[in-house]
Amino acid sequence: MNGAPFSFLRLGLVAQNTLREAVRQRLLHLFVGLALALVLGARGLQDFNFGAPELKFIADCGFGAMTLFGSTLTIAATAQLFFSEIENRTALTLLAKPVWRAEFLLGKLVGVALLTALFCALLTGLLAAVLWVREGELMALDPEGFRGGRAVSYAMVALGGWLQWLRLVVLAAFTLLVASFARTQVFAVVCGFGVLVICHLQHLAQEAYTRAGSAVGAALGGLFGGMFPNFQMLSLADSLAAADLPAPGTWLRLTAYGLGWALAAGLLAILSFRRREI
Amino acid sequence: MAPALEARGLVKDFPVGLRGVRLRAVDHLDLTVRAGVIYGLLGPNGSGKSTTIKALLGLVLPSAGECRIFGRPSGEVAARRDVGYLPEAPYFYRHLTGRELVGFYGRLCGLGRRELAGRVETVVAQVGMTAAADRAVETYSKGMLQRIGLAQALVHDPRLLILDEPTAGVDPVGSAAMADLIRGLRDAGKTVLLTSHLLGQMEALCDRVAILAGGRLVAEGTVADLAGGTGRQQLEVDRLDEAQVTELRAWLAARGRGLHGVAAAGRGLDAVFLERVGRGKGEGTEA
Ligand SMILES: Nc1ncnc2c1ncn2[C@@H]1O[C@H](COP(=O)(O)OP(=O)(O)O)[C@@H](O)[C@H]1O
Ligand SMILES: [Mg+2]
Repeated sequence: MNGAPFSFLRLGLVAQNTLREAVRQRLLHLFVGLALALVLGARGLQDFNFGAPELKFIADCGFGAMTLFGSTLTIAATAQLFFSEIENRTALTLLAKPVWRAEFLLGKLVGVALLTALFCALLTGLLAAVLWVREGELMALDPEGFRGGRAVSYAMVALGGWLQWLRLVVLAAFTLLVASFARTQVFAVVCGFGVLVICHLQHLAQEAYTRAGSAVGAALGGLFGGMFPNFQMLSLADSLAAADLPAPGTWLRLTAYGLGWALAAGLLAILSFRRREI
Repeated sequence: MAPALEARGLVKDFPVGLRGVRLRAVDHLDLTVRAGVIYGLLGPNGSGKSTTIKALLGLVLPSAGECRIFGRPSGEVAARRDVGYLPEAPYFYRHLTGRELVGFYGRLCGLGRRELAGRVETVVAQVGMTAAADRAVETYSKGMLQRIGLAQALVHDPRLLILDEPTAGVDPVGSAAMADLIRGLRDAGKTVLLTSHLLGQMEALCDRVAILAGGRLVAEGTVADLAGGTGRQQLEVDRLDEAQVTELRAWLAARGRGLHGVAAAGRGLDAVFLERVGRGKGEGTEA
């Protein structure tokens, strides 16, 4: 009975409880409902009927809804699930048990990651179904245009969902990092959105700095690049064609990139949370 | 054997406001709680009782000094395996039922699935929450939260229980039941540290007490040491009229004793309340 090594079982229990708390919240149902409506809504624009490009349009709408609602959901859920433990003092009871703070914090992160995984799987599945049905209709209307068979690569749609999930996990980890030292939930949420914007736009900034050619600009760009992941890396190319599908090695590399950033932020969060007064 | 709890030179400062102003919540506290006793930590609001408990549990870092649980430094995760803790004004995951909640904490404490169900049943019954165990925690009253909180503290059968104001906001029936339960734990060989400012209750319950004021220890000892020893006695007799009282006074004076007070002995509202409401009829128990 000596020592109490880090336990993935306890981490898993915290994650499971976090996920359970999240899925029993009404706000979450609203978000999922809105996102689902948007994906289905894109399907409703069939009056346009402009052939294969319409499918790309539906996919863009679907992934756009996932990014918009997924990011908001992730930031809000991470901050809320963390601060409810602090403010209701449930963290006090939990950490008085033989539980490492790292197990608690990573458990929270894994719980949110599971939540976002459910979200992405649900929406990607729905999007794929909408695309499939619409593609079938378009094929019937215009057999000539689809002579080569289906135009959409569903592996590409799945990759899109996977990359979306990776972005959300990174976002959750950064939000948790801020929450680990923040005094208020609002602060964590605002910083979460700040991180979201930086991660999405930093490639633009870097291009601008590079074009300007100034040493200061390059250094600044490098600094941001070192501190925040580039979400441009974790986005689909502008095509749904099977020919453009990246090789499995690329999938792995992107996964490592996303999870690596999430882990780094998670470890920093553990460091900062270690000395927090509960 | 190592004492159940030990604080040596414990100091805790909280930063308050800007410019590094600090508030000393606990001031050079030395405390030893031997195993097998009911130990009361008394003191007015803000005297540092809860902060002391959090430091003993490793939930706040001491500014100076050290704390140990059964000889292990409080900061170690393993030290907390033998402790059950009921926080002050506890609040729990509102999305769980009472049974799920106790089960969750039980699994965190390392209980396997098989023993878990039995333990949960036992402790939920022990605190009289069986009937309400499948209701969501968010529907619980304050007294029920205290009781389910006690159940989660007991679930892994720890040797030491730390209860922060376990009877705050609990009605007399609930308080009396809580006191019986705590005595039962002591008789089963457990150590109990509890805080309260309801001194009457603590006097009847505790083996030893420490009194804090402004973060400092101002008195420590057995209840008899601290509160007994006035050299006086109370007698309860049938009603005497005035002449008889005068006669008694003279009788006592002849023996060098004084009569210091005469009052009608009431049963006390507590006793009436408990009798009329019935000890076992707290909320959450079967009707
Ligand atoms: N997290 C905190 N930050 C600042 N001050 C605190 C904090 N916790 C407690 N205090 C202060 O420390 C003192 C002791 O509080 P506490 O231990 O809760 O007293 P008690 O439990 O005896 O009522 C109080 O003055 C309280 O305001
Ligand atoms: Mg207190």
